[in-house]
Amino acid sequence: MDELKIFTINKNIHEDNAKVANETREILKSHNTYLINVMSSPGSGKTTTLVSTINALKEEMKIGVIEADVDSDVDARTVQNAGAKAVQMHTGGLCHLDATMTRAGINELGVEDLDLVFLENIGNLICPVGYDTGAMKNVAILSVPEGDDKPLKYPKIFSKVDVLIVNKIDVMEHFDFKLDLLEERVRKLNKDVLIIPISAKTGDGIDLWVNWIREEMKVR
Amino acid sequence: MHELGIVYEVIKIVDGFVKENNLTKVDTIVLEIGQLSQAIPRFIEDCYPAAVSETAYKDTKLEIISLPANGKCKLCNEVYNIINHRKICPKCNGEDFTLISGQEFNIKEIVGY
Ligand SMILES: Nc1nc2c(ncn2[C@@H]2O[C@H](COP(=O)(O)OP(=O)(O)OP(=O)(O)O)[C@@H](O)[C@H]2O)c(=O)[nH]1
Ligand SMILES: [Mg+2]
Ligand SMILES: [Zn+2]
Repeated sequence: MDELKIFTINKNIHEDNAKVANETREILKSHNTYLINVMSSPGSGKTTTLVSTINALKEEMKIGVIEADVDSDVDARTVQNAGAKAVQMHTGGLCHLDATMTRAGINELGVEDLDLVFLENIGNLICPVGYDTGAMKNVAILSVPEGDDKPLKYPKIFSKVDVLIVNKIDVMEHFDFKLDLLEERVRKLNKDVLIIPISAKTGDGIDLWVNWIREEMKVR
Repeated sequence: MHELGIVYEVIKIVDGFVKENNLTKVDTIVLEIGQLSQAIPRFIEDCYPAAVSETAYKDTKLEIISLPANGKCKLCNEVYNIINHRKICPKCNGEDFTLISGQEFNIKEIVGY
């Protein structure tokens, strides 16, 4: 029998992921496609926000959505009905998307003719933020019923995103959610984050969010 | 589950190394996991057998070296475990530290031929 040898690898597990993510950004740039990764807890309103966004932007650009869920394809059908090109990825129980899975979604969607693509990540405040998907920008959605203490409990996601959407402001009066307290807690983790309060249901604040997208895509 | 995805990633990287270096057998995979990394060693161990069961690594052993979440106090240079001491220096009560270990998730080495 051959003798056992030790082979030193010393490789960070996320090194390959970063490589794939950077490649994805290059591929997307070559097609002039802008990818935004949307993360939140289950039910905070990712799909509803995407529908409002698609409605606001579909006359001026071609939009695609990669939906990732553990199971089912209801979200993909919802955004498709709103006018986006959509694919549904199933993660088979995994709690986040990495760059390789995102790339598979991009390939399946076909992005050559798309200007803007959203990745609706798995509903989870913890794991998705640990993985670079290859998106140009990262957005988190926190909804009013979840509470203004979430930045204290899940600091990592709030410290890493470019935009924080605060959704469901239409029901603010029924909860003890304090927007200024939330902002103070978020700024401690991430002083440059853009905070946009919206109601995906009534459309309140959507214009601010959509304008941010337009500006980002101009300078891409 | 988070850990399962991580184990698949480990196997992918090991497999790449094995092919590149023409190894015939991997006896052990050694991982270094920091206390602050998003993976929990016990869960990694639990899902490892399932992840390798239908691969060339089904007899490969897994060894995990746990690395503490250590910070170095910016005031008095004391090195302390920031989880056990809730981020506060046990020597001078300072709250400012530089993280020196704990975020790792590395494939340290593999043993094989
Ligand atoms: N009142 C109110 N309800 C909203 C708003 N946005 C979404 N909802 C409701 O919240 C529920 C969940 O919304 P979704 O858009 O499906 O949330 P999601 O984040 O995509 O959920 P998952 O994909 O399951 O993680 C639905 O019943 C929506 O109608 C809002 O601005 N105000
Ligand atoms: Mg959804
Ligand atoms: Zn000290």
